[in-house]
Amino acid sequence: MIINGITEGYTLKFRVILTLGIFILLFFASPPVHSQTADDEKNFQQCKACHTIGGGKLVGPDLKGVNDKREESWLIKFIQNSQALVQSGDKTAIEVFEANFKIPMPSHNLTDDQVRGILAYIRNDGKIAGAEVTVTETPTTSPSAEALATAEEGVKLLAEKKSDERRNMRSTFLIMIVLLLISITDLVFIKMVKAKWIHYVIILVSVAVVIELTFVEAVALGRQQYYQPDQPIAFSHKIHSGQNKIDCQYCHYTAAESMHAGIPPVTLCMNCHAQVKSGKKTGTVEIAKIYAAIETNKPVEWVKVHNLPDHVYFNHAQHVNVGKIDCQKCHGEVQKMDQIIQVEDLSMGWCIQCHRTQTVQFANNKFYDQYIKLHKKLEDGEITSVTVKDIGGDECQKCHY
Amino acid sequence: MEKIYWQSLEKHTEQQISVLNNNKPLPEFSIEGLDESEIKGKSSRRDFLKMLGFSVSAVALVSSCQMPVRKAIPMLNQPEELIPGIANFYASTFFDGTDYCSILVKTRESRPIKIEGNDLSPLTKGGTSARVQASVLNLYDDARLKKPTRQREETNWSTIDEEVIKQLNALNATGKKVVLLTSTIISPSTKGLIGEFTTTFPNVEWIMYDPVSMFAMRKANEMQFGKAVIPDYHFDKAQIIVGFNADYLGNWLMPVAFTKQYSANRKLAGGKKTMSRSYQFESNLSLTGSNADLRYGIKPSDEGLILLNLYNEIARNTGATIYPTADSPIDIMPVAADLLKNKGASLVVSGTNDLNIQLIVNAINNLLANYGTTIDLNRPMYLKQGNDEKMARLVKDMNAGDISGILIHNVNPVYDYFNAKDFISGLYKTSFKVSFADTMDETAALCDLVCPNHNYLESWGDALPVEGYLSIMQPTIQPIFTTRQFEDSLLIWLGQNIDFSTFMEKFWATKMNDNHIEGGNFTQFWNQTKHDGVYQYPVENETQPSFVDQKLTSGSNKKGAGLELVLYEKMSIGTGKYTNNPWLLEMPDPITTSTWDNYLCISPNFAKENNLKLEDVVSINGFFEIPVLVQPGQPDGTAALAVGFGRTSAGKAGTNVGQNAYPLMNSQNNLAGMTGTVIQIEKISGKTYPLALTQTHHDMEGRPIARETTLPEYLKNPFAGNEQHVFDEEHNVSLYSKIQYDGLHWGMSIDLNSCTGCSNCVIACQSENNVPVIGKEQVKNRRIMHWMRIDRYYARSEENPEVYHIPVMCQHCDNAPCENVCPVAATNHSTEGLNQMAYNRCIGTRYCMNNCPYKVRRFNWFEFTNNNKFDFNMNSELGRMVLNPDVIVRQRGVVEKCSLCVQRIQEKKLVAKMEDRELRDGEIRTACQQSCPADAIQFGNLLNKESAVYKQVKEDRMYHLLEQLHTLPSTSYLTRVRNTEA
Repeated sequence: MIINGITEGYTLKFRVILTLGIFILLFFASPPVHSQTADDEKNFQQCKACHTIGGGKLVGPDLKGVNDKREESWLIKFIQNSQALVQSGDKTAIEVFEANFKIPMPSHNLTDDQVRGILAYIRNDGKIAGAEVTVTETPTTSPSAEALATAEEGVKLLAEKKSDERRNMRSTFLIMIVLLLISITDLVFIKMVKAKWIHYVIILVSVAVVIELTFVEAVALGRQQYYQPDQPIAFSHKIHSGQNKIDCQYCHYTAAESMHAGIPPVTLCMNCHAQVKSGKKTGTVEIAKIYAAIETNKPVEWVKVHNLPDHVYFNHAQHVNVGKIDCQKCHGEVQKMDQIIQVEDLSMGWCIQCHRTQTVQFANNKFYDQYIKLHKKLEDGEITSVTVKDIGGDECQKCHY
Repeated sequence: MEKIYWQSLEKHTEQQISVLNNNKPLPEFSIEGLDESEIKGKSSRRDFLKMLGFSVSAVALVSSCQMPVRKAIPMLNQPEELIPGIANFYASTFFDGTDYCSILVKTRESRPIKIEGNDLSPLTKGGTSARVQASVLNLYDDARLKKPTRQREETNWSTIDEEVIKQLNALNATGKKVVLLTSTIISPSTKGLIGEFTTTFPNVEWIMYDPVSMFAMRKANEMQFGKAVIPDYHFDKAQIIVGFNADYLGNWLMPVAFTKQYSANRKLAGGKKTMSRSYQFESNLSLTGSNADLRYGIKPSDEGLILLNLYNEIARNTGATIYPTADSPIDIMPVAADLLKNKGASLVVSGTNDLNIQLIVNAINNLLANYGTTIDLNRPMYLKQGNDEKMARLVKDMNAGDISGILIHNVNPVYDYFNAKDFISGLYKTSFKVSFADTMDETAALCDLVCPNHNYLESWGDALPVEGYLSIMQPTIQPIFTTRQFEDSLLIWLGQNIDFSTFMEKFWATKMNDNHIEGGNFTQFWNQTKHDGVYQYPVENETQPSFVDQKLTSGSNKKGAGLELVLYEKMSIGTGKYTNNPWLLEMPDPITTSTWDNYLCISPNFAKENNLKLEDVVSINGFFEIPVLVQPGQPDGTAALAVGFGRTSAGKAGTNVGQNAYPLMNSQNNLAGMTGTVIQIEKISGKTYPLALTQTHHDMEGRPIARETTLPEYLKNPFAGNEQHVFDEEHNVSLYSKIQYDGLHWGMSIDLNSCTGCSNCVIACQSENNVPVIGKEQVKNRRIMHWMRIDRYYARSEENPEVYHIPVMCQHCDNAPCENVCPVAATNHSTEGLNQMAYNRCIGTRYCMNNCPYKVRRFNWFEFTNNNKFDFNMNSELGRMVLNPDVIVRQRGVVEKCSLCVQRIQEKKLVAKMEDRELRDGEIRTACQQSCPADAIQFGNLLNKESAVYKQVKEDRMYHLLEQLHTLPSTSYLTRVRNTEA
């Protein structure tokens, strides 16, 4: 497995550089802060997409002084699930909802304490409570340097990995062919090297490598690992999912119920971008494409990155909703990608590998109650967990029909 | 008694020969007599090298190509109820002028892909027919008109509207007569609209026309009961059913509803001890006849005679008037005795469009006190309102030049009127001709303006098939082409500025005043009705109208020299409206197992006398040539021919298929009769025409496949007829242990006592599983792709055989012979008991097909998608829209077969998991099971002791096909029980 060795070598090198980089950045850029309040600041990131503290109204109202205006218990409820409160008929909630053009605030998966932390952060005018920090680098305009660095490194790693692997593969292949030709020529015509076993070893090794490489390439035909096409809109998952912490399923909202995770319609973008008209990196250019799509009544033609062959049936709901698998497990660290790249090769071997080891929600889902024998085995201690394979997850007709 | 079963006459003769000679049956295929090249194959070493070189370079070329860029285009504004990847079901109504069915339309990403039965319907109760199943393909028919046309040139709607309004007003002003010729209309709101139309334009007369008419029935009821109606029938309440040329399980009135009723009273599950008995007197072997307990072949000219003798016999016992008549050619005493024993619980029906016959039938039912029990005159059935007399008058008036304009909706009289010649000449004399046809059919081609109607899946509508049962039709897709609903056209021409859905809502808002509706809220009622698709309102239960005696005669018992012809509708294409539907064209006829053609069915005796055999061509009255098919059970002196074929302008699949039989209708007294025309046939010597029958392949070689018993024997011994099963259970031992399942073990059970062989399941399966259409040539080559077939066996005599229908699909054997022989493990067994088939793994050795004792595996000999040689629905962008996205389209070179609708299993398993609950029994329904009008198929988890399938498997009548092979199938069958005396 020469090729794998080479790749691993490179991976290792980059890992070292990455770790070093992170350390350096951490050392210089992060202020020494109280861990509790750093969380608050992090949690506030997801609010910042629509709110400011004293910076005027964005999508949602300016949050300065919100602690004095509303009661804490009301705020907690509203922040956790605003629509539930509106629907329950709460007068203040309806008032706020209507005052903000009926743009629903997405619900947030935050505990009461986390919300209290955020409120404290707001009360302190966007500074970390308890720490006397002079405003030198305002964290409200840019994300923390730490997050930025990690994210950039992560994506760079992928891009490097992609080009390196290709380059290595090709050069190894060429070197081996050249070696092969040289040794054959020497063996038959030139006869410079007298010890014939050297020729034989070289020929055998190079032929083995060439066959191995051809096999690897042939097997990977039709696969698109590290596929990273340009999209019609330079949409950044890093900004939306990484920095603003918008939940994946806020936009890909059918992932929990349908086979397709779904690409959101532009009207969903408008929930926020009706107000957020300018981006940090690209200004108004990219966001204007959303408005153009709506005005011209032409949907955005995204380039599909993760493609499965036609003869495979894959269902997001089964994995996301029932299996409780993180999106990142298959899609990589999307929250760090400016441009989406396919991280895994999406091969059948890769699928099956996971099905062999992944445990199912055996005790947590009543559907599995009917597997009486497996439950008995669990009780008797014969097995400790039930994997997907144990209930037939490696059979053909789980995915091919 | 040792019974010999046979599938075809050739086989039967063979069996007789082999019994005589004590020989084995002749082999089906022999290489004797073939050319050397055919035996050895035509490829040489050079060919092999050429192919090798080509494939290597092709692979090299392909591998150097870039992957295609695939786009993912989200909707601009996604409606809340639409989730890509999840099917939506909408309740709607199928009505095409003849058949009615309440349906659910399965849509994926806003396009209809499958029709299912609507369980909420009190009439059709979740059943459908093959035609209903296939109707979704008509939506994606390339032959549909894309735009309105004027003199066959495409134009736009405003031009059409301008011209029509101008013409209508001009004709109205001068008082010239215009006729609106439509099919039967059962929509109350459309009737209301037509009423407004004829009020605004008083010169317009509305005439309804049915190609296969039941006008005599209405007329008889008018004479005897004072009501020109067709009553509602209750086959479930009848213990004795006597049919005279009425194919009530196949084509007569409401076959789906009738099959539901009929089979409900034939089930013996759960220790039930009684079932109805059906007698059938008929002149061709119909589906009903093949299911009848006792069947009699009669000549059409004898029908009146037999009926009147039956009447006299009953009248003698009840003291009613007796009418003189000749003796019956058939002993009707047992029938009369049975009927008299079951007064008030019997039913006599006739499908013959003859006044005398219908009068006798009514009189018999009256003597048997069936009105009010099995027949309800107070709930009229609104199907078949066509008026033969008015139609005949119209043709006369047109030829006399009295008609200035004609608007033709949903009928095609140029093709299907028995006197089409006169109709055409009349049409030429009519100056203003408008058609609403959705394809350029024979009639539309002769019209000036064609205003294409929507497909029914794009339309709003309502239907009242029987009084008290309202049914709603709603669109499930945006109109694909620039078409317009018939009703919308009328509204525009009336100058009303509303669309038909609004009109319909207003119509029902006025009709359903608040005290009609529970809760009194119309909006709520209307939304609920649209959601359910059906609404049942009470009909006042008056006493049945009193009977007025009419003089009964057996009719003119004319007997000409020659064969008496019987026209019939095929289970597949019916009256000919769907002749362009390739699914239906390729559906094997449940009786003859023929596809793609019509043919003249003749009796075995006649064939012997005239030295005719299958595929010989004869000429009928010198009129046209047609191949013959020797049909067991065809009465001597008769011949049968299917209508619906011979379309000259149907579309790419259906044009010029078979011969048009409508001109051979019996037009006595201007009634469009299906029976009784006397024909002369002449053999065209030396000429044959190939017929694609699925009859000789899939042969089960006389093993105990069809198992049956009679009711008295079954009551004595529940294992009667199934002794083989008991024997096999005791003697089948294996060295290997049985597979032990945990949690799930899917199984299917088919009650052969319920199955009528109607073939609805075949088309349902084709629609669900993307089964390709392969064309007549390939069917003849025994390559039909249907995952499900209905085997048909005959037993006893050739003159009047007993018939068996057995649906056969993959049996999902636990000990599957196919699995062991696959060299690449492309077919293997799942932990849920499914015999899995991985198409992308299959390399096409066909060992599995060879080793399958049930012959249910199908090989893709060709690429059927995007291949001009198979120019059917899968060769067009539009036609492929019907494909089920959850099931892949198999490529050339792989084997496929029934998967027990694994996609449905997985879907419902996921739903249960998401809802955090166990699977419910009956939640997963396979495509064949869901819409079975006879509820013959059960599917479920065999490990669940409460499941319906488990209970059915535990019945004493249960057996497996070829169980002596110890294949341990997961599919089982229940023996058929005939309700005969011995």
